[in-house]
Amino acid sequence: MSAMTARAGDAHQTAVEEAMRAALDELRRAGDVRYAEVRFVSETTEKLRVRDGRPEQVATLRTRGVAIRVLGDKAWGFACSPELDEAGVVGAARRALAVARASGRVAHAPVLFPPREGAVGAYATRIEIDPFSVPLEDKLALLDAPVRALLASGKPVQSAEAWMEWTRVDKRLLTTEGTDTTQRFTYGACGMHVIAVDAAGVAQKRSYPTWQGCEGFQGGFERIAELDLTGHVDRLRSEAIQLLTAPPCPEAPRDLLLESSQVALQIHESCGHPAELDRALGAEISLAGGSFLQPKMLGKLEYGAKIVDLVADATTQGGMGTFGWDDEGTPAGKRPLIERGRFVDYLSSRESAAALARESTGTMRADGWSRPPLIRMVNVSLEPRSGSLEDLVADTKDGVLMATDKSWSIDDLRLNFQFSCEIAWEIKNGKRTRMLRDPFYTGVTPAFWRSCDAICGPEEWHLWGINSCGKGDPMQVMQVGHGAAAARFKNVTIGNAGHA
Amino acid sequence: VTGSELLALCKDALRAAGEAEVEICARSRHRGVARVAIGELSQHMDLVEPQAIVRVAHGSRVAEVATSVLDRETLLACIADAARAARLVPKTEGFEGFSGDHPGGDEPCRYAASTASADAEERVDRLAPLLASIRAAGLVSAGYLETSTASVAVATTRGCARAHDSTMATYKVWALETPGAGGAAGYGGHLHKDVGALRLAEETDRAIRIAKMSRNPASLDAGVYDVVMEPPAVSELLEWLATITFGAPEVEQGTSALAGRIGDLITGEHVDIVEDPLDPSDLGFGAPFDREGTWRRKVSLIERGRAKGILYDRTYAARMKSRSTGSAILPEFGVAGVGTTCCQLAGGDASSVDELVRGMDRGLYVCRLHYVNGLLEPRRAVMTGLTRDGCFLVEKGKIVRPVGNLRFTDSFLEGLARCDGMTKERAAIPTWWSDAGACVAPAIRMRGFLFNGRSQQQPEELGGERGR
Repeated sequence: MSAMTARAGDAHQTAVEEAMRAALDELRRAGDVRYAEVRFVSETTEKLRVRDGRPEQVATLRTRGVAIRVLGDKAWGFACSPELDEAGVVGAARRALAVARASGRVAHAPVLFPPREGAVGAYATRIEIDPFSVPLEDKLALLDAPVRALLASGKPVQSAEAWMEWTRVDKRLLTTEGTDTTQRFTYGACGMHVIAVDAAGVAQKRSYPTWQGCEGFQGGFERIAELDLTGHVDRLRSEAIQLLTAPPCPEAPRDLLLESSQVALQIHESCGHPAELDRALGAEISLAGGSFLQPKMLGKLEYGAKIVDLVADATTQGGMGTFGWDDEGTPAGKRPLIERGRFVDYLSSRESAAALARESTGTMRADGWSRPPLIRMVNVSLEPRSGSLEDLVADTKDGVLMATDKSWSIDDLRLNFQFSCEIAWEIKNGKRTRMLRDPFYTGVTPAFWRSCDAICGPEEWHLWGINSCGKGDPMQVMQVGHGAAAARFKNVTIGNAGHA
Repeated sequence: VTGSELLALCKDALRAAGEAEVEICARSRHRGVARVAIGELSQHMDLVEPQAIVRVAHGSRVAEVATSVLDRETLLACIADAARAARLVPKTEGFEGFSGDHPGGDEPCRYAASTASADAEERVDRLAPLLASIRAAGLVSAGYLETSTASVAVATTRGCARAHDSTMATYKVWALETPGAGGAAGYGGHLHKDVGALRLAEETDRAIRIAKMSRNPASLDAGVYDVVMEPPAVSELLEWLATITFGAPEVEQGTSALAGRIGDLITGEHVDIVEDPLDPSDLGFGAPFDREGTWRRKVSLIERGRAKGILYDRTYAARMKSRSTGSAILPEFGVAGVGTTCCQLAGGDASSVDELVRGMDRGLYVCRLHYVNGLLEPRRAVMTGLTRDGCFLVEKGKIVRPVGNLRFTDSFLEGLARCDGMTKERAAIPTWWSDAGACVAPAIRMRGFLFNGRSQQQPEELGGERGR
């Protein structure tokens, strides 16, 4: 009995497995199929949102189906089916093969796809408390309490919101190479924000634990208690109100300190995405763009300062980018992308790695059962160095500390970026002084990372999780992780959105 | 699956469930997507996307359960689960029950059999000569041809029963100097319900022409420039404006430019923006009713520069003492909300983009934008983003040379106030983050737009192999 059947323990799952194997058998018999994978995905998501004392969203989303990717003589074909009986799954296999054959008619060269030995095994997120076993009313109460507390003092607080999201993904992958993996993931996210509005209608927002969309993790309900939303209400509300009268962030080159979650966003946009080999080779032009990190730069380009080590690690405990195997059967691993500042590797797939005569780094993942896998970030993290954030502030003569991302934009090669934050503080002679509003900073990726002269230590390092990284066309969203500690960058162009 | 079949399924489940207050919105899409990269068909997909969203209310306590399985048994299970959850959740202020049996209106035809019947072979046959022409021009092709069919139905226990079928064909094409390393690039695109009506050759030729014009760009300093933007660029700004400005939630939270300013002049007096989901022309997309079954209607959002209208679903409308505009959008990536499906910026009287360009002494001609973000200061609609796929310097009314991509950071509302030219002709551009429909925009000329950064495109500018 397989792992999937053993866990689910019902005839339905056995029937699905039989249908998947029937589809693979049919594809094996086709004669022109070099490789095929059949991937079953079942996903349940619970979305809870309390805004201004009332439930804004109480929703459960369930989806399940089978994805089939076929490599014919020359080209790929992909099809999917929500029908899980043999007719549905085998029918999808036939459609995928028809698509591969149609595309193959106009292919100039066959897709490079080196074979590999099949992988067999199981992976599951380690959890202590299953979030789907916690009563709904308890979860809503945990969100309602901080929202009411944020609103309690009235104006200028205009709106407050708290949210919680849980996703359970069961995935089974069978391939013509003999891969048979079963994986169960449990993802969570929880946070809150408050909006204050002054008499002129100008609004300021503060969020906790960071900007919505970066607070995710892989784990159970035990992670919620660690957040202590209510314990951060007073600070959050106070900061939102103070921002209404704070001076704007000055416009001048300054030493820039970024708190941990902002460093995570910086990694995501200016290291993670450009290190995706499909982008670099030109496979993602139709939405995302290319990459300045071109193959000829591998091992040569000085991407950042020598203190900058960025690692792609799909094995980090609790990361949103952690798994057992990717969606083409490559096992999770840990590899440096930037080593002592030098660009040394890509996030890759079997096909893209073969184009460079390299091995896949195991990063192919798909959003659900109705999309083919793409190269996606795993946990791309900045290795910590030493010291606390307060040590870093004390070591800064004239700078600005920015926290909590507010907007993000970067060019199609991932060079020129501009990110704005919810809040900043001026640093003078080693001390945080006044609060600054509407801050943004802008730069060019390699110059920015080369200007990094300090990275805080393990005590400031946090593994953040982005649960909505967008890529592909049609768009796919994916969970990815970024570990980071606060860091300092020299002589960065900063400004304020109010001046634009 | 047709809309009528979905509706029959929903009504059957409602009858069988026995719950007093239930709404089901069911949809099914079948999409054929041929994606091109590096001159090859890189991903070719046959996608089936079914979904039913069930909401159950006990008084004003509302819970939602969605499923990808469209059968009677599953819908009944969803109703039961939502009913259990609805007993546990707090009251939703403003909820007054699901839609009733209200009359609709004239249903615009959004369906073309030619698109519905297009298969993988046809997509390949249509694409092959286009890719060959790009190759013949010495350029690398990338892009996307989609033929899709969508059906949607909404039924409630109060008697609402609506169904709609539509098709959409989308073509996006790039002609590139390099596959993924930047350099000259040109873009073309077209959206139509009928795959046979797509301007495939014309848009491909345009992409090639822009790419050839874009070779060897000069570097241009950041600064304030007059700018002419093509419809795909304007549409990016318009889509962000719609996202941060026109929905009741953003108004209620105080972050929208409309909050507390209805009737105020918030941009130029020549600016008219409407939500026109029932537009019967080829510029109109989306179903004529929203996910709650409310018949959509045309809403003037900004009229002669003044804040005019807000978009509501039923609950926000009740709470803000208005009536639903039929703007409850279908959740994409699980996000429900209130928003536009066919946001349109009215055109002007310029006969062509060339006429707008001729009216600039010194400025920029921008074909497209990339990675726009409108969250910097939503109240003023301050946005940032970059040019992409064609950016040119204009001097004395003529395009004189291509320039490297630039970053802008400016208020779109204030930029529109400084707009002194718009084309009469407009284009529909698909919204990229959702399936909510399209934005419709003319080409526009804005005076004094802030470009605050330069995007370095040449690898040698990276410092290349420093330290080696």
